[in-house]
Amino acid sequence: MANTQQPGGKRATRRKKSTRARRRTISFYLFVAPWLLGFVLLSVAPLCIGFFTSLTNYDGFDPADSRFIGLNNYTRAFSDDRLFFSLGRTLLWGAINTPLWLIVTFCMALVLNQKGIKGRGFLRTLYYVPSIVPVVGVVWIWRIILDNNFGLLNATISIFRPGTALPFMSQYALQSLSVIALWTGLGSGMVIFLAGLQNIPEELKEAAQIDGANALQLFRHVTLPIMTPVIFFQLVLGLISAFQQLVLPMLLAPGQEGSGWNPPRSSYLYMIHAYRQLFVYQRYGYSTAALWLLFVVIMALTLLVFRTARYWVFYEVEVEVGGQP
Amino acid sequence: MDSKTLSRRDFLRVSALTAAGAALAACAPPAPEATEAPAVEEPAVEEPAVEEPAAEESAAEAPAPAEANVVMMHQRNELSEDEEAQFEADYPGVTIELIEGNDNEFLARIAAGSPVDLRRTQAPAVPQFLNRELMYDLTPYFETSDVLKPDDLAPANAYYMANSPTAIGEGNIYGMCKDWSPDFTMWAFTDAFEEAGVDVPDDTAALTYAEVADLAEKLSVFEGDRVARWGFAYADSWIDRIWMSLLDELGQSLYAEDYSSINLTANDDLKAMAQYFFDLASNNFVANPLNPTTSWIGDDFVRGLVGLIQYGYWFGGMAESDVTAGKVVMLPAPTWSGERLDRTITATGMFMVSKTEVPDGAWQVFEWYNGKEPAEARASSGWGVPALKSMYDMMPNETEFDQQKRRVLQGELDLETPPVQFNPFIGAEVVANTWLLYLEQALTGDMTLDDLLLTVEEEVNIAIEEGMERTEG
Repeated sequence: MANTQQPGGKRATRRKKSTRARRRTISFYLFVAPWLLGFVLLSVAPLCIGFFTSLTNYDGFDPADSRFIGLNNYTRAFSDDRLFFSLGRTLLWGAINTPLWLIVTFCMALVLNQKGIKGRGFLRTLYYVPSIVPVVGVVWIWRIILDNNFGLLNATISIFRPGTALPFMSQYALQSLSVIALWTGLGSGMVIFLAGLQNIPEELKEAAQIDGANALQLFRHVTLPIMTPVIFFQLVLGLISAFQQLVLPMLLAPGQEGSGWNPPRSSYLYMIHAYRQLFVYQRYGYSTAALWLLFVVIMALTLLVFRTARYWVFYEVEVEVGGQP
Repeated sequence: MDSKTLSRRDFLRVSALTAAGAALAACAPPAPEATEAPAVEEPAVEEPAVEEPAAEESAAEAPAPAEANVVMMHQRNELSEDEEAQFEADYPGVTIELIEGNDNEFLARIAAGSPVDLRRTQAPAVPQFLNRELMYDLTPYFETSDVLKPDDLAPANAYYMANSPTAIGEGNIYGMCKDWSPDFTMWAFTDAFEEAGVDVPDDTAALTYAEVADLAEKLSVFEGDRVARWGFAYADSWIDRIWMSLLDELGQSLYAEDYSSINLTANDDLKAMAQYFFDLASNNFVANPLNPTTSWIGDDFVRGLVGLIQYGYWFGGMAESDVTAGKVVMLPAPTWSGERLDRTITATGMFMVSKTEVPDGAWQVFEWYNGKEPAEARASSGWGVPALKSMYDMMPNETEFDQQKRRVLQGELDLETPPVQFNPFIGAEVVANTWLLYLEQALTGDMTLDDLLLTVEEEVNIAIEEGMERTEG
């Protein structure tokens, strides 16, 4: 009896398992469906249309007037001096702004993670405030400060050197932009570093202190290595964000809506070039191609950063290839 | 079951890769786009085939014959919610849905198959919109309207009349301006003149542009490297419109006869004009890319930071502030060659979109907005010359300043300057925007003025070629 019932029991068990697995699968897909649907409709589909657009000479009017031109928009980009100039400015902007943002926000987080600081919560909130100011407000605040002729900064310098009118809004626009971006990004960067710092196990610090490590050694050999995954994450985010920067330089640029906003040469970033091609020259196809090329550049840089990660990013639990600890 | 815990490294990797993936979003097109050709619609040049209004059913006499929701892409500050509610009360069955948006949003809605019915625009965009068959021929409506009569239309409305995209000025009526101004008049801040020890020019005689440059120099105030007051201000984002008007004094055009190219390098008169504006910028007599204004030149003027500004009659509506009240004088348009002209180069107005499905309802809104209470309110505000000649008397004339403005304005209206033909193959901003983009390099000495003009010419000609290719195959 037992022998005759066993296979049936196994079958029943298998059936149960199979039913459970199916239910789990169905549940899984039901749970991910809203996101998946949104991703397909709002990301994948526009991307596909965007790529298709980049293969046409579409100008924003009637799609029926446009025609397929293959890779012409992409080849055109390689002979566009202005595009390469803007790419150069963007690389420079990324090279200045990303490390600056990482260092300053990390240092701020280190300081505001100290337990002995009075009003620590207030200070954390205070430094986060610029992150929640609308970008238009941010730009107007900084315009008042940076204006070449009537700005607060030049007025202050003029106390010591009368008649100073340093061109913060024109030739020094990129430097001005870095300061503004740092100011607005301070809070968001700091919060992530603070979260990382608070996750450092106390026993590690105590062990190091028992071994005689001073504050600098503690930072160098405990805090910094444990924080490298967070720094890595922030670095990737910072680079991508730097390459996609558009709104700040546009709003900081002289001119009015309708005149196309003309950022100075100093802050003529890649996204501005793409924006102008799109909205001033009505080159939807070419602009979309330029944006795809930007994606390739961002992806290449991101992969490069990933390749370097093995040399400087440390994890508490080393995971070998294949996923086995 | 084969399971694996997500490690911190995995999490960070996935997060970073997701963020990298997000970069892809930048590659998506900026606006929804139809992948198919839009439904066949009536071309703009054809008369409305359906619901043609009969004379006896004019909106002036009867409310809307059918229900319609009219989508209007306009500025809220030019049509208040109260006015909108009043319209809906007066015209039962017709509702207004006002959307604020620019030309890109306007085009995106067309491409997406949900066009608006009425759209705010300016004269330089009209030829291109006509060329792309986006404008509804309103001639039959005008012919039967008791409110908007062709004979009553102010001269600036000629920008909305055309026989073809390259023959603006007369013909079918595709829209009308909401108000307008001869745009080359000037406004003097008398304090600036007094401080510079210069007499305010006679408001009955036109200056020459050479005299304006001389005044710009005298009125400019420098403190070390700082500009404390700009001597002159003009809308550099309209530089091509200014050149077109000045060339018109000489009987010349900025473009080839068929609008297939722009000519900046082979025309010595144009070069002299470019040199003129370049010199103003390089001497810091005007705001420029190297020394920009934080705000806009109109705001600078009312703050007392500009001595002389070139703007149309509309500027009189805001020229007096706490700083400038009682110290502003309107001056006639200057002349380049001695031949006096003063035309509008904006003529902001409205047209009905050719793809509208509610032309009758849209016309009722159009007619009401341009011929009834909102038009009367605009006329009496002093923010522009009314679009209907019959409303000219409504312009403010009470104060001494009002009367001075009216006197100068009348002199400009008497010039009866015809409209200028804009290029139908490129957007309204292309020329000025390209000029301003490269002007900085010329001002820093990285490029000569000749190179600047050559670069602008080449870039604009490419844009024209592209526009022609799309519309003419």
